[in-house]
Amino acid sequence: MSEQLPQVVTPVAAQPRLRMPAWLSWRRLAIVVGAYLACVVVFAAFAAWQGADPGTLLPAMLQSTVLNPTALTQTLLRAVPIGFAALAAVVPARAGLVNVGAEGQLIMGAVAATGVGLAVGTHVPGPLALIATVAAGGVAGAVWAGISAVFRIWFRAAESVTSLLLNFVASDVMLFLIYEPWKDPAGSGQPQSRPLPGDVRLGDLTSTGLNASVIVLALAAVGVWLLLRRTGWGFALRVIGGNPEAARRSALPSWSLLLSAMLVGGLLAGLGGALNLIGVEGQLRPGITTTFGYVGFLAAFLGRNDAIRATLAALLFAAIALSGNGLQLVAGLDGNIVNVLLGSIVLTMLLVGRTQGERL
Amino acid sequence: MNIVGETLATAIPGSVALLYPSLGELISERTGVTNLGTEGSMLSGALAGIAVTLATGNPVLGVLAAAVAGAACAAVHALAVVLRGANQLASGLVIWFLALGVTSVLGSPLNGKIVDPLPALRIPVLASIPGIGPALFDQNALVYAAYLLAPAIWLFLTYTRTGLALRATGERPAVVFAGGHNPTALRFSATTVGGALAGLGGAQLALGIVGNWANGMTNGYGFVAVAVVIFARWTPLGVVAGSYLFGVALALASVIQANGIGVNQYLLDSLPYAVTIIVLVLVSRFGRSNAPESQRDALSETV
Repeated sequence: MSEQLPQVVTPVAAQPRLRMPAWLSWRRLAIVVGAYLACVVVFAAFAAWQGADPGTLLPAMLQSTVLNPTALTQTLLRAVPIGFAALAAVVPARAGLVNVGAEGQLIMGAVAATGVGLAVGTHVPGPLALIATVAAGGVAGAVWAGISAVFRIWFRAAESVTSLLLNFVASDVMLFLIYEPWKDPAGSGQPQSRPLPGDVRLGDLTSTGLNASVIVLALAAVGVWLLLRRTGWGFALRVIGGNPEAARRSALPSWSLLLSAMLVGGLLAGLGGALNLIGVEGQLRPGITTTFGYVGFLAAFLGRNDAIRATLAALLFAAIALSGNGLQLVAGLDGNIVNVLLGSIVLTMLLVGRTQGERL
Repeated sequence: MNIVGETLATAIPGSVALLYPSLGELISERTGVTNLGTEGSMLSGALAGIAVTLATGNPVLGVLAAAVAGAACAAVHALAVVLRGANQLASGLVIWFLALGVTSVLGSPLNGKIVDPLPALRIPVLASIPGIGPALFDQNALVYAAYLLAPAIWLFLTYTRTGLALRATGERPAVVFAGGHNPTALRFSATTVGGALAGLGGAQLALGIVGNWANGMTNGYGFVAVAVVIFARWTPLGVVAGSYLFGVALALASVIQANGIGVNQYLLDSLPYAVTIIVLVLVSRFGRSNAPESQRDALSETV
């Protein structure tokens, strides 16, 4: 006969409070919808002040992003570097690391891909050269992120700050290569590297110029989601990110987890830089990333560090970024005005969103 | 002028452009608010400084406008972070992004327009000290104000009640509250004042050094300021040392270039950032951490 276990009385305060999901409350919904409407109205007012007819804004933005197949292709291609940059923030975030260095990792990915592409493009059979080019990009991104990881793990330097500053170093390294060793002698005035040979460029899949890089992004998003949700490694990352003390007590190998999270993040960003290079750009030029890395970080934040949601947010941000073209052509606005819209969307989320319990 | 004097003369204006945002970031971080939006405050300050100076012909009004523009950016950050509990790093980056967008749109009509840089005011006796005199004492008013600002902030933080409350806000806000101060108000005002100082840093870049507006002209100085505060270990005098170190690295890059020594210009441009990272790493490893309690979490300093 089994012994009666003593009844454990859980204190009321320790029980999880049952409540409705926050977004289900009408009041909350009204606040969120109202805030985003206000954000759009403020943007339209700003555009009108800059001399645009507010009625033309939306058609111009839709026309240049989704309403015709060519524009839609452009949006999908633009989502590739932004989406990979977002994933580059998502993986380290699981382990509690802040990777603000996707910009530099994208750049180094593109740089390494250019180097390898120029070196092997004409000597090695096509598919092999292509793989080598893309792989070089991934490795370079991982190395660049690895620097911040090493500084964090063995030198205790905040990776958020080192990864941010390394973006500026990466940009200078790229400029050096463009202006000196890899300079295109045929480039008339415009500084750029020699163009990559056709063997290491991605071919068009459709008449509008869509290529395989978009498929790779979709696969990467699902892959990262599975990796974080369905593997022991993903679980261990979450433990170490959520509760470092618990991780220490359960003897999780913290340094290798932190390092691997950051390396995978950098690898993803590097792939994004390489794919953008071989799929869209074809040669290195200054401003090849133009803040895609930072936009990706914000997309990851908007997607609450979930791989799929972050990639979808990246797609939205890619569309907003491209809608600048339409605003420039139709409404005569400065193309950079889209950064205002992009910033206000995330700011609105910060102001009305659920806080993550990290109130100071 | 010898190479030391030449380097120093170039280093000082650049250092001062970093000293202002770093001191601003220091004040803000002492209360527990990290502000990557410092970069945005600098950009806004630079544009406002140039725009108002062009419109009124009065550089003093330009400098004031720069401080106001910088404070406005930081107030938005304070609103999100202090009042709404938003993620500090994300909010800071968003403020920078918004400022980048707004300044490039508003600034495009000003591209290529040139204003006279702030005049150098030569201090009679001191400026004739051989070697360092001209470098230190033949500069504009913003530079002289910066000489006084760091000691003033040190005195304020060390010896005044408000300064003490401000420092305590970053460590034990509950105690500050019990002591009759309002930690939320302290955080809000410290962040906003920090933004005003960052705006002055932008003014020093735009009005004090180059005399025109260029898109994204702050080049990551605001981000460097965050690093400087860390390796200065949250002390005003450390911030002075850090800013001048960055300024010297910046100046060395341009002096080496001007003297035609065969190192690539772009690699030299990365020197100040590389130096900042290396110093940050060494200080983080070998320095005693005296980060305000709330900063340890904010920058995810330790695991």
